[in-house]
Amino acid sequence: MTANLVEVHEKAKDYDWDFSFTEKKPKFDTKYNIPTKGKDPFRMLVRDYMKMEAEKDDRTHGFIDGALRMGIAEKMEPRFNECLKLTLLDLGNAEYVAVAACGGIISSVQNQELRQGYHAQMLDEIRHTQLEMALRNYYVKNVPDPAGWDLGQKALFQHPGGLVAIGEFQHFNTGDPIDCIIDLNIVIETAYTNILLVAAPQSAVLNGDHALATTFLSIQSDEARHMANGYGSLISVLRNEENVPLVNDALERHFWHAHKGLDALVGWQSEYGSVNRAWAYRDQWQEWIVDDFVGGYLEGLGEFGVEVPRFLGKAVEDLDWMTHTVGQVFSAIWPLNFWRSDAMNEKDYEWFEKNYPGWHNHYGAYWDGYKQLADPAGGHIILQELESLPPICQVCQLPCALPRLDINEFRLVEVNGSQYPTCSEGCEWVLRKWPKAYTRRKQFWHKYHGWDLADVISDLGYIRPDGKTLIGQPTVSPDQKMWTIDDIRALKYEVKDPLHGVCL
Amino acid sequence: MKITVEPFHHEFECEDGETLLKAALRQGLFIRYGCKHGGCGTCKSRLLDGDIDEPPSTFCLSPAEREDDWFLPCVSTPTDDCTIDIGSMGISQEEFLAGDQSREYETRIEINEPLTKDIRRLRLRIVDEDEMKFTAGQFANIQVPGTQHWRPYSMANSPEEKNFLEFIVKIFPEGRFSKLLEDRLNTGDRLQVHGPYGELRIRLSHRNIIMVAGGSGLAPLLSMLNRLAEKGNERPVQFFFGARTNDDLYYIKEIEAVVQTMPVLEFIPVLSDSWPGDWRGETGLVTEALARHRESYRNCDAYLCGPPPMIDAATSLLLERGVRPRNVYFDAFYPATSD
Repeated sequence: MTANLVEVHEKAKDYDWDFSFTEKKPKFDTKYNIPTKGKDPFRMLVRDYMKMEAEKDDRTHGFIDGALRMGIAEKMEPRFNECLKLTLLDLGNAEYVAVAACGGIISSVQNQELRQGYHAQMLDEIRHTQLEMALRNYYVKNVPDPAGWDLGQKALFQHPGGLVAIGEFQHFNTGDPIDCIIDLNIVIETAYTNILLVAAPQSAVLNGDHALATTFLSIQSDEARHMANGYGSLISVLRNEENVPLVNDALERHFWHAHKGLDALVGWQSEYGSVNRAWAYRDQWQEWIVDDFVGGYLEGLGEFGVEVPRFLGKAVEDLDWMTHTVGQVFSAIWPLNFWRSDAMNEKDYEWFEKNYPGWHNHYGAYWDGYKQLADPAGGHIILQELESLPPICQVCQLPCALPRLDINEFRLVEVNGSQYPTCSEGCEWVLRKWPKAYTRRKQFWHKYHGWDLADVISDLGYIRPDGKTLIGQPTVSPDQKMWTIDDIRALKYEVKDPLHGVCL
Repeated sequence: MKITVEPFHHEFECEDGETLLKAALRQGLFIRYGCKHGGCGTCKSRLLDGDIDEPPSTFCLSPAEREDDWFLPCVSTPTDDCTIDIGSMGISQEEFLAGDQSREYETRIEINEPLTKDIRRLRLRIVDEDEMKFTAGQFANIQVPGTQHWRPYSMANSPEEKNFLEFIVKIFPEGRFSKLLEDRLNTGDRLQVHGPYGELRIRLSHRNIIMVAGGSGLAPLLSMLNRLAEKGNERPVQFFFGARTNDDLYYIKEIEAVVQTMPVLEFIPVLSDSWPGDWRGETGLVTEALARHRESYRNCDAYLCGPPPMIDAATSLLLERGVRPRNVYFDAFYPATSD
């Protein structure tokens, strides 16, 4: 007969001990005062964990096997899969960093129960990386236009959209381990969990991508454990009143950064990567972030002194325009992308205007112009219409064009005698408070200042196997002639760092 | 009958003819509840499997909710093994297993005075050593002296005011408790109070706050306003308070005092039947004033308390003008029947 779960869990803890011959020091320092008692509400044992996760893996891989035979990869909306070339790469990075994060936390927390919880989470995160790599493997071999899927980690560290994710997810495993927990387990895996892993599968199904839906739902089934780890850690830390202001600062910082980074990428995939949309991204946000996370989760922590992030209202306000501006910027730089950037059509216009009244006034003319310049025979790209390239925010790595070009909140911030661009009051606050975490980042435009656009594309390697056709294209339409590197060279477009001579 | 409660996978037994709520409480489990007679909707839960006997009509469930298998455990008896889901109550497993934390308190009447011709102020001092810890917006049941009947009233004071409970009581000509209050109960008399109950409370968000009160519905909203002021609230609040005539408005000085400490509060009194020549507030039904005041209520949380027709009309209007359905919160108490 199998032994009782609670008894076995208690016995497993007995194998841990305090050293008598040396002081037990955490591997990574923390500014928090962490009690040695905490609670792993799942009491997960390896024997049960393996059985459960193996079953989940079998179901996911089984589906992909079936998807191959049914030719599902050819039936999905090309627009959806193109944007996924960036966003799935970004998410994969999040999973890898989360594996490292759990290692850091386990090495730092002197608390058996919590350590046990994070051990299970670490295995989960590894499973997620494997599932997402298997999905990328499925796409690269089966979608009609796999160009870009094969670039993998290289593009992640090159492209401005990849750097947004690098910037956001680095907080999982750098800095104070408790701050890492607040970002990973509380903000991303609790506040954003439904947006990332429930709305995205819904969107995938509506756009014919059942493989992504199956993979993400399998991942989502592990998230409750991660939320519980985060909650257990937070409650443990909040027992000491001295920790409360530190928790509030970390929550403020990571909530804002997640708003910028995740809302830009996930909102863009949800609205500009979809042909069929379930509901507006800003409505998802109101439902899950404001009403569930703030109105439920944070409210429950109010008695411990946890406060609502003061930038919450600003984040909501941004979402009226943010995804559209990101859609505008990502499409405007289409030759620099490693995916095809589809144009919005009349059906899209109608949906946007209905869900975001006023959209057409601000973005309609842009998309009309974008479509007119799709043909390489025209010899012109929309990038040439911009007065200048947008500076990139030193903190969130997004263009300083948000929330909307005409009401952007770009500001230069001086830190230790140097100037840095930031996109908002929130990012300015983060930069001033934690300057060391951000001031060493290099700017994409700075690297390529003075280069011909064709040389930039060649340097990035975003060219198809024929050696001349670009991976990035301004449409997914099969009827449109594709742009080549020669078409781009003929433009004589020189990249100019908008802050050349101002910021180093 | 065996009852399984999700999301906790917990089972308990229910006797023949026993309501689900009564059986759960008897066995030391906690399910949120309030009036116990199908009048407040606090215990609203979902039937996932099995069969129950339930009253054919209760105002607290819309036809769509009934269609979707929502029911009220306080007035429903199982006729078969059942699985119910109480996930929407937002209670943790610990709270569920800890049992009912609300309890009975002995109180003495401190103040029993008329506020208008048909509304009275009842202020009670808790005699027990323990204070009642409630959240602004919650209610308690007051026992009708000499009977086994209880009547629900919302607390009108701030929870910070320890050991005191203040209620606003509408006097109905045949009301079992309200008539007693008007005719026989005096300062110093004892009253048994059971509570606190209810889910109406200020929700954390970034949104502006709209409050609409009619008649004695001021009570929970006044408690919430006081609490907001104590916490230094900075979210803009618009508070519509409807009555028939100027004589039917009450607690105006108290509300104006809250405006002084919380300048983001805009108080909008509304008179429907008649008003003085120098009247500076709004006129007409409170919902008409609400309609005139703003074209859009997008990005607002709305809190309503008053007669059910007012709640229905205000809810429709607010939803039409941009409030998300989930962000309309209300208490719609129906006068108890003769028992």
